[in-house]
Amino acid sequence: MPTSFVSRLPRRTRLTLVAAAAFVVLGGSASTQRQRFYSDDPISREPESQDASAAQSHDIKSIYEMTYNLFVTSGHKPSGLRAKNINSIDELPDSNWFTNRIGTTAITPEQMTRGANVGAPPDPSKWILTREKTAGVHPGFTARDAKGETWFLQFDPPYYAEGATGAVAVASRIFWALGYNQVELFLTTFDPKRVEFDPQATIRRPSGARTRFNRDDMNAILERVAKSPDGVYRVVAGRLLPGKILGGYLFQGTRPDDPNDVVPHEHRRDLRALRVFGAWTNLTDLKAANTLDTLVPENGRMVVKHYLQDVGSTFGMCNELYEWDLSYEYFYEGGPTVKRLLSFGFALSPWQTIPYKPYYPSIGKFEGDEFDPREWRPQTPTTAYVETRDDDAFWAARRIAAFSDDLIRAAVRAGQYSDPNAEKYLGDVLIKRRDKILSLYLTAVNPIVNPRLGASGLTIENAAIAAGVVKGQPTYRASWMLFDNATGETKPLSTTESQTTTLAAPAGLPTAPGSYIQVDISADIAAHPSWKEPIKTHFRRTAQGWQLVGLERLPETAPAAQTLEDER
Amino acid sequence: MSRVLTLLASLAMICGLASPVIAQAPEPSRRGLIEQAQAEKVKTLHPYPLTTGERVMNKVEDIIVNGGLHWHPFLESAYKGGGFALGAGYMHHVSSYNLIDMRGSYSLRNYKRAEVEFIAPRMFERRGSLSILGGAREATQVGFFGTGPDSVKDDRTNFGFQESYGSATMSFWPARKLLLLRGGVELAQWTEQSGEGTSPSVDTIYTPAALPGVGSEITYLHTQGTVGLDWRPAAGYARRGGFYGVTFHDYKDTDEAFGFQQVDYEVVQHFPILRETWAISLRALAQTTFLKGDQEIPYFLLPSLGGGDNLRGYGSFRFRDRNSLLLQGEWRIMVNRYMDTAFFYDAGKVAALTEDLDLDGLKHDYGFGVRFHSPFSTPLRIDLARSTEGLVLVFGTSAAF
Repeated sequence: MPTSFVSRLPRRTRLTLVAAAAFVVLGGSASTQRQRFYSDDPISREPESQDASAAQSHDIKSIYEMTYNLFVTSGHKPSGLRAKNINSIDELPDSNWFTNRIGTTAITPEQMTRGANVGAPPDPSKWILTREKTAGVHPGFTARDAKGETWFLQFDPPYYAEGATGAVAVASRIFWALGYNQVELFLTTFDPKRVEFDPQATIRRPSGARTRFNRDDMNAILERVAKSPDGVYRVVAGRLLPGKILGGYLFQGTRPDDPNDVVPHEHRRDLRALRVFGAWTNLTDLKAANTLDTLVPENGRMVVKHYLQDVGSTFGMCNELYEWDLSYEYFYEGGPTVKRLLSFGFALSPWQTIPYKPYYPSIGKFEGDEFDPREWRPQTPTTAYVETRDDDAFWAARRIAAFSDDLIRAAVRAGQYSDPNAEKYLGDVLIKRRDKILSLYLTAVNPIVNPRLGASGLTIENAAIAAGVVKGQPTYRASWMLFDNATGETKPLSTTESQTTTLAAPAGLPTAPGSYIQVDISADIAAHPSWKEPIKTHFRRTAQGWQLVGLERLPETAPAAQTLEDER
Repeated sequence: MSRVLTLLASLAMICGLASPVIAQAPEPSRRGLIEQAQAEKVKTLHPYPLTTGERVMNKVEDIIVNGGLHWHPFLESAYKGGGFALGAGYMHHVSSYNLIDMRGSYSLRNYKRAEVEFIAPRMFERRGSLSILGGAREATQVGFFGTGPDSVKDDRTNFGFQESYGSATMSFWPARKLLLLRGGVELAQWTEQSGEGTSPSVDTIYTPAALPGVGSEITYLHTQGTVGLDWRPAAGYARRGGFYGVTFHDYKDTDEAFGFQQVDYEVVQHFPILRETWAISLRALAQTTFLKGDQEIPYFLLPSLGGGDNLRGYGSFRFRDRNSLLLQGEWRIMVNRYMDTAFFYDAGKVAALTEDLDLDGLKHDYGFGVRFHSPFSTPLRIDLARSTEGLVLVFGTSAAF
């Protein structure tokens, strides 16, 4: 995309940069002359070593991005390259994009319901309107509360009472737990009788001029939103983010003005994983306008912090009242267009017949029985979406697997739905969709995780069996090798097998600190032939014992995750 | 002294050369490699580059979101049947919402139009809108085939006219939705002229006595009022909702020779099927006229049928008489968010007497069309219609109904 510097470079240069990025993050694998693992592997945090004060505000406009994604990105051939911001054990280090939360640390239901909120909620006893809302599809304002703090207020459309506000409140909790930077959001009230207008408040008119924001402007917006019988409106209030607002980020390339942004966004696992998290929550509106970069001080320098800012187009709120196709089709797709054109509409797509029963206006068109993760689509394809591989999807599915039923229902409670049946339904659907995602993505690749080498041998876990999506007991096989970290050469030792998740270690493993071994671990079970493809693990001998320093679930180059159409 | 300096310099050189050997190289680390890449990038930092295409599309988006559009295309012909028209308009906001639009067009058949409109779209707390329009137009070869349902295609004659007009129209939605009240007043001067083109001019076939309006120059004070119920998402494009309305017209001739009244009854109903995969869209329009004493209705203002938005398989103004009935049905097929196709069927008749507006002797056509649309408008409609008089290809810049 032209707004991305990297993507404008010639293909050969881009590949070189990608390879360089691969080297930077993974290290060694790009060259046999360099060591594979370093003393600080696996890193737990991406460094941001440079001052980014020079980063400038830039709005990425939606029409160009949408057009580009519909007609260029949709034809993008995935590189098949492994994600580049993962550490040497196939995990995501913390960064200004992402913070490891669920799946790595215990989250209580109370924390889940609170989400990213750390400050006090707004005081809605008085709102002072300062500006119209400029982002998002649902109407709203920018306003100061009675304490003088600035908030972005968003209402519900009349046909989705509690829907839009509830969706963004719930989804922000889920995406916070998943690790994304989220805005603090509170459900609160808006009483038009207690509204004042900032003397400096303006609104852009059709003439293009900004003039005083007045009560009639407010009324015009309130006419288009869901009303409560008592005349008080339900709103969701998003706290103004700290720092300088730089605009959104793209799902490919890097920010050319941020020195710390060295991994092309389409090769960031956190952005690729949105294909899976998006399918789970129905987050269809993946575009720069729903993201936000801010410039903030950190460790004595200015750095860019990246927010997944607006996650309101989720659950049933991605489709307007008379829309059904979103999450099943891009805004434009040639295949279904031709099919419907030639069949006079009789070649039906799934979205035309899927039932939404029971239907709750506060939830919208969201269901779990017919849901197929491979069929899910955002409004427009992003390059990160296209580049998603099965190991990215597996990583994402493990995060989703960490959401227990209780945690899901705790997140849904943040929506404060007045109808308990609606709240229960949303939780039920998320649970059904979670289970389908786990069944698909935890089984698509070898699901062995958490290998540990100790005195009792090699112990492993099977994520698919642990999640309950596979029954039966595979036979595990470990191929043991000495590994030369300087050259990458291996020397076979032996092979051990087990019917359990503990495998015996062979005799003759090195004992000198700083020595390395490679253990390729596969699983044999008839229903999942892909599990025979071993994960490659590397252990380093330390004074305390063996430390896992490498895990590769799929090779450096592998096919992108399959869609249902690919399979057909 | 110089020896000392030389010694110091030599020592410095030796130390400098030896330093890479003597100094401990930092232990390579993953973090170090990443930081090195970040340090390298510092040398090439630059703002987001924009391509020309992106700049252009961003400008378009700015105009859509923030306003500021001045020049715009204007493709409406001066009068139906004028052929493909090209034109442009210039809009200028005179206040936050109110604007003036100056526009003009010129069509293949030499039809001309120039007008200025003042539009106040937001009145009475967003319950009303006002349009004040003034302009002039000229049509050179409008078809006239005789009156009545049995007129013959080969009897076509042509006429021309010039019209200058000034009008004010107020639309009012008391509840901001559903109920529509519209009223307007227009002062218009019509000058009927000889026709151009391949068909004979109307005045070579008909005398003013045989065909009221031939050679006439009429000044009308035209008032009108509409009461309707409209719950379509937009008149310019809809797959659901309906419109039920009655419009009353009074044409007062300042010379009291050609005054008359007219009532239009219109029903539009869209029936969505299977999540708007299809829509059955129906329209009925009846137009009836009433004489004022011994005054006549000029032939060129008689209700008519034929043309791109009614009896599509017939030429424009193919049938004229004191009353008309039009029935239309479309089976609209959603292809994607921006494109529909449709099979359509039109039927209609004209009649001298209201009681003859029945279903006997209807003229028919049928066809297939493709429409490109936004949620609220249909900027391009291409219909191919077939009737007993042949095939007609219609290009429209609005929905048929």
